Amino acid sequence: MNWKYLIGGLAVVGPLVAVLAAGFGQDPRHFESPLVGKPAPDFALRTLDGEEVDLADLKGRKVVLNFWATWCVPCQQEHPVLLAGAARHPDTAFYGVVYQDEPGKIRAWLERHGSAYPTLVDEGSKVALAYGVYGVPETYLIDPSGVIRHKFVGPVDAATLNAQLEAM
Amino acid sequence: MILAALLSLAIAAGPDPAALLGPPAGPPLTGEALRSHVYRTGKLLRCVVCQGLSVADSPSETAQAMRDEVEALAAQGYDTEQILFYFETSYGEFVRLEPKPEGWNLLVWALPLGFLAVGAGLVARGVRKGTPAAPAPAEDEDPYLRRVREETR
Repeated sequence: MNWKYLIGGLAVVGPLVAVLAAGFGQDPRHFESPLVGKPAPDFALRTLDGEEVDLADLKGRKVVLNFWATWCVPCQQEHPVLLAGAARHPDTAFYGVVYQDEPGKIRAWLERHGSAYPTLVDEGSKVALAYGVYGVPETYLIDPSGVIRHKFVGPVDAATLNAQLEAM
Repeated sequence: MILAALLSLAIAAGPDPAALLGPPAGPPLTGEALRSHVYRTGKLLRCVVCQGLSVADSPSETAQAMRDEVEALAAQGYDTEQILFYFETSYGEFVRLEPKPEGWNLLVWALPLGFLAVGAGLVARGVRKGTPAAPAPAEDEDPYLRRVREETR
């Protein structure tokens, strides 16, 4: 056994194994959004009914922005959580932002699953791209000063949503 | 119907690029220059719903939306670096297909060259030394083994 080669080999392989081991502990699809702690990107969108909503007008209120689509199964699972959340936090402005979808399908979906807050249509996914949306559902909590405080990737759960809204 | 669609598009404003990026680095582009700029920038931009595909190479709806965004910015004269930065503010550095050569990222660029240099050095040293001489046969070696060794030298 040649100690020189052993030590040399370990010097090369050791850090590599350490990097891989650290990587295995993480979900490769989970990235901390660079927007958390930053001002929420501004937008003006129309609701399904054609009413204009400008994020700037919502300053002073907590905002929940939920990106979803009718073709998204997890969105269907989380929908009751959001409906209950909107009922429990009447001072918070809840908005659904529909992503890559059609108004007809959205209306039918909302009739079937219930609706308690306005639905915004994001044509061309412009707002989704500005918020760094990877897929649906994703939910952003914006504090009254307009700063993004939390981002949920995947369906929100009631306990976390309530705790985060109350902490804000 | 078309008018309604146009109206709704007009209002779907995202964030203002000028506030984020400042003035465009180049002149507004059109035609072939615009197309090639969009393609070159799209090649460096990760399609965020794909597995390791660039925006230029992916047929997905999200990639299309990203291409439209790149085109809108490029048409105003924003250069590749400005456009990449625009996406980076919402998606983080992950959205760049090539990590920026700075900080720890430099390892990605430097390590392969380093390993190549070390490997080349080892090979060069090995060649210079020639093949190692066979070990001198021990006095008490089996005579048959010694004969084999001599005949195969």
